[in-house]
Amino acid sequence: MGFTIGALCTILLSVFIVQIGKARELASIVRNDPAEQDEINKFQAGLGMIFMVVFLVACVWSFYHYIPTSLGWGSNIAASVHGPEIDYLFNLTLFFCFIVFVLTHIALFWFVWKFRGKQGKVGLYWAHNEMLEMVWMIIPSVVMTFLVIGGLQAWNNIMLDFPEDEGYYSVVLPDEGNEKQYIEIEATGSQFEWYIRYSGRDGKIGTKYFTQINDKNQLGQTWSDEKNMDDFIASEIVLPVNKQVRVRITSRDVLHNFYIREMRVKMDAVPGMPTYFHFTPTVTTDSMRRRLKNVPEWQVPHRNDNTKQRWEVFQYELACAELCGKGHYGMRKIVKIVSEEEYLEWLDKQEGGSLVENVDSTNANSVSYSFEKGSVKSKYFSYFKDGEKEFNPVVDKIDNIEHLVENKLLVAMCVDQMSTLRSSSEEGSDEFNTAENALAELKPLLKAARLYTVDQVHDSYDNLNKARGIVKAAVVEKNTVDPVTTVPVDTTAL
Amino acid sequence: MEMVASPKKIQRIHPKKFALWMAMLSMIMLFSALTSAYIVQKASSDWLQFPLPQQFFYSTAVILSCSIVLHVAYKAFVDKNYQLYKLLLSLGFGLAVSFVALQYSGWLILNEMGVFVYTNQSSSFFVLLVGVHALHVLGGIAALLISWIFAMRKNTMEWSQKGQLRLELTCTYWHFVDVLWLYLLGFLWLQQ
Amino acid sequence: MADINVLEKEVPQTNYDGHHDDHHGDKFQSSFIDRYIFSQDHKTIAKQFLITGMIWAIIGSAMSIIFRLQLGFPDSDMSWLQPLLGGWIQINPTTGLGSIDPQFYYALVTMHGTILVFFVLTAGLSGTFSNLLIPLQCGARDMASPMLNMLSYWFFFLAGAVLFISLFLNTGPFSGGWTGYPPLSGLPQASDGSKAGATLWILSLVFFVVSVLLGGINYITTVINMRTKGMHMFRLPLTIWAFLVTAILALLSFPVLASGFFMLTFDRVLGTSFFLNEIFVAGEVLTTRVGGSAILFQHLFWFLGHPEVYIIILPAMGLVSEVLSIHCRKPVFGYKAMVFSILAIGVLSFLVWAHHMYMTGMNPFIANIFILFTLIIAVPSAVKVFNWIATIWGGNLRINSASLFAIGFVSMFISGGLTGIFLGNAAIDIQQHDTYFVVAHFHIVMGVAAFFGMFAGIYHWFPRMYGRFMNETLGKIHFWGSMIGAYAIFGPMHYLGMAGVPRRYYSFENFDAFAGFASMNQFITIAAIATFFCQILFVINFFYSIYKGKKQTEMNPWGATSIEWTAPVNCGHGNWEGDIPEVHRWPYDFGRHGRDFIPQTEPLADGEIDGGH
Repeated sequence: MGFTIGALCTILLSVFIVQIGKARELASIVRNDPAEQDEINKFQAGLGMIFMVVFLVACVWSFYHYIPTSLGWGSNIAASVHGPEIDYLFNLTLFFCFIVFVLTHIALFWFVWKFRGKQGKVGLYWAHNEMLEMVWMIIPSVVMTFLVIGGLQAWNNIMLDFPEDEGYYSVVLPDEGNEKQYIEIEATGSQFEWYIRYSGRDGKIGTKYFTQINDKNQLGQTWSDEKNMDDFIASEIVLPVNKQVRVRITSRDVLHNFYIREMRVKMDAVPGMPTYFHFTPTVTTDSMRRRLKNVPEWQVPHRNDNTKQRWEVFQYELACAELCGKGHYGMRKIVKIVSEEEYLEWLDKQEGGSLVENVDSTNANSVSYSFEKGSVKSKYFSYFKDGEKEFNPVVDKIDNIEHLVENKLLVAMCVDQMSTLRSSSEEGSDEFNTAENALAELKPLLKAARLYTVDQVHDSYDNLNKARGIVKAAVVEKNTVDPVTTVPVDTTAL
Repeated sequence: MEMVASPKKIQRIHPKKFALWMAMLSMIMLFSALTSAYIVQKASSDWLQFPLPQQFFYSTAVILSCSIVLHVAYKAFVDKNYQLYKLLLSLGFGLAVSFVALQYSGWLILNEMGVFVYTNQSSSFFVLLVGVHALHVLGGIAALLISWIFAMRKNTMEWSQKGQLRLELTCTYWHFVDVLWLYLLGFLWLQQ
Repeated sequence: MADINVLEKEVPQTNYDGHHDDHHGDKFQSSFIDRYIFSQDHKTIAKQFLITGMIWAIIGSAMSIIFRLQLGFPDSDMSWLQPLLGGWIQINPTTGLGSIDPQFYYALVTMHGTILVFFVLTAGLSGTFSNLLIPLQCGARDMASPMLNMLSYWFFFLAGAVLFISLFLNTGPFSGGWTGYPPLSGLPQASDGSKAGATLWILSLVFFVVSVLLGGINYITTVINMRTKGMHMFRLPLTIWAFLVTAILALLSFPVLASGFFMLTFDRVLGTSFFLNEIFVAGEVLTTRVGGSAILFQHLFWFLGHPEVYIIILPAMGLVSEVLSIHCRKPVFGYKAMVFSILAIGVLSFLVWAHHMYMTGMNPFIANIFILFTLIIAVPSAVKVFNWIATIWGGNLRINSASLFAIGFVSMFISGGLTGIFLGNAAIDIQQHDTYFVVAHFHIVMGVAAFFGMFAGIYHWFPRMYGRFMNETLGKIHFWGSMIGAYAIFGPMHYLGMAGVPRRYYSFENFDAFAGFASMNQFITIAAIATFFCQILFVINFFYSIYKGKKQTEMNPWGATSIEWTAPVNCGHGNWEGDIPEVHRWPYDFGRHGRDFIPQTEPLADGEIDGGH
């Protein structure tokens, strides 16, 4: 109904305008006034001047109004190390372009007004001026040169990948100040979700090949590659702040694009051709929330949950930025930037029970194993060859990983015990201080336990004994708590 | 480019000839794109070589002969030697069709060898290059057919300015697809 | 007024160098079919291109209104579109609200792009004006090959027919974006829109390539080879220079697109893997499809794609130069600089294609070269803008619809061109790639500036085409509505892009970061609807004026210097009765020696130097 009325009104309006047009034309022919064109020129040129003023004012006004969402301003600050470089380039270019925009528009509309047609006047036969041509060729060239140089520097800085032959390598958690270490994660685009794979304890992402993809192996991981054994697929991206990250970006089917807005991260995902992007997040999700708390657009109720304001539930988001089919607009993954401690805790949870794989093995010559969710015990089959069991280095490695995880949990329990002691005693008391000191010694041991590689499994036993010793000493001193001897596996934490 | 407006007649290439050269330029761009893509892909993918069957060398000889025959036919037409012209034109037409037939048979031989269009990048590109060339040859055959029909019909067989132009354009185009084939063959042979 | 049946007369057909043309008068073209359907008269073919282009523009813009409704008012009920779109409107079972099927949304976006870039701005712009003006302004009876010219239009028509049919397919028209990147376009199983719709899309565009090449061959040959006596290259109006370079660009770049389409078709139909590598799609491992590269297609596509945008803008620039100069009663400022800028833009346009591909993972070192050339190409463009503004200085500007659109073109080209500088600088493109910033940029330069150039040309040369004038009042309303409307639509999009909102998103509801712009999207949609209706005014004006417009009473109503106005009003095939005029000077003698204008046909006085030197 509304549509019909709208359509009728539009038709009526069009007919009305057309009739006015016809009438005016007829009237003009009848009048046959040569000076009429002068009037028209004045009126239109005047409209032009009004347009110019309104237009430029609108541009400036809109800039102030919308600048909070623009690059590098307000809520849209860059949350990575390379981000501000991009924002600076953008704003520098904006500065120069805005000047040109304003000056040329003023010239354009003002000249139209100043030189509007008048009867009896003749145009000026001014056909060229070499000097002027040079001037307005050189000035843009110079400005461009600046922009190009700055742009090339930024581009090469940001895009050149870590060269492997110069000693760059991936780890679970880069050391403070070590520029050659980075966390590597893999993002695989598919129709229509992202698969995010972490490298696990060994810090290395395992190989995969598309022919191996099936229901139970969504990425086609090559299980005979030991680097795959500790890899896990995560439901969200969690990264520690201020650590270098390198994303290996691939696709299972069509083109996608890995895009995290606030971090100025964007790179195409091409099937069969991995691409890379490295960045260092600088603002944790919590910090960002605190910042957004003060921004008016973010103080409104969230569209999906109006008990919360937008800033309270802010999350960094991974989006797809290359048309991949009808679900292109829904490929979302949450990205959380957290402290180092929170990151390690999250890894703990993923490590203990993340991998549940059953590689289909109808072929007796292949390895099949699984980590059962909720326990650190693994079940595995040995490699059968002609009916005989054989030592299998892959299986051996799984065993080592298990021990590392187990040891880590035990050290974590030591830390828990001391934390409980600390929180149950009064600040300043002897118990409190004992617990504090014990914790100070235990925390580095826990960190080490979380980061030990598979080859360091024996070091992890030393570490575990040390932790036990510290707890025992603290407890003996206090004589209130039993030393840790048995290890009940807490499956709920996993 | 002439610079002075003088009353004497300026020698210029006939517009339709110029137009044909422009068309051939666009075809050169097409084949440049295809051969560039070939080079790029060869460098970066699993590229399996296969030998070129002899058929393609026979077809080369055929198309070369066709060009020569058509050239002589054109000369005959200009000299108003109609019997020779009709004979050579028919021969040329036959050679042209044989070229396409030989190309196709060469492809069938490759199939017998187990090389199909989807077998590998190299075979895909091979079909692409030879196939797109053959498509352009078919266009040339159509032009040749028209010339042949005009030659055979009594009222259009005689020499005319227009007829000479048409024949010249047809022959130029044939020489072009011939040279193009030589380029493609050389390219493919060198890449092996 | 000249007898419209001049076709029946035997008109002397010699070109100045003496040899007879191949088509002797039009005794063979007097039937309706020969005159209006399969016409070989370049002027009629120009009108065919124009009207077909206008019809496609309406269809393509209407599509944009539909998908803008989805973006601006996502929660509204679209079931009223069901009579037109049928099953493509999904009714939500719980709320009863109708919305566009996401698959169809992407099909609309794809069709919108394809139709407007190719059918309207390439065929409708170059096709119309190159056909209309090249023979008339160069002094030729017709194109080098009127037959090929006729075929050029009919291949365009065929391309349009094929695409039109694809709109009614069960699985829908192609929906992979006008850029048609594989693997999405190469794998029918990747999307419904990549099934029959994609096949027809490719077929349509291959026919289109043929059309463009046939046209281009004619345009180049006519300009180089068939100019009248005295028409040296530096006496050609800037329109002709623009059309010449455009045609050369088209000739050299469209075949590359065709090669990409051949390869894509092979992938789709013959099981090859030119663009496919390691694919698992729709639950299936494509074991044999290895070795290809999806990026290869992008190289081939953009090798056309970039020159294509210059193929679109250069004719508009040429038209604007001419319209501005004539209505300002002043020579175009810096004619030679303008010519060299056109040539520079033409050459450079072949060296910048990969700036559309900065984020594909290409070697960053190679990107450096493209950044450099992209920012260099800004310089001749800037020179042209300054020259246009200088053309107005000291002029005696007659303001009418044509000159208003020419002025609007300059404004739009400045605005859109400047945002190109941001995008050309690859580091900025890291963030702005595939956001609304890109959408704003290319719409302002192509969707507005090029259109404005086209409108300027239509209003200005309407008398040349139909012997009547278009209504000025409607024209001015059309201009102001479009000018304000276009900035209202695309201005805000810059902010969306700066905020990082991606393009080609059916809905922003899934992302917190992108969901906060509801009112801006509404504003844009409303502005788009209003601007669309302004264009309807133009269409009404156009068709009405063909029959009832103010008649043209003098041969040269605008006081132009170029020779297209020396042929009689409503002249027939062959343009001039009697001999083709001889040219003695450049076309920009406005205000010279105190005279309002000196036509090109007037001989130089003793001691007078030609202005073009």
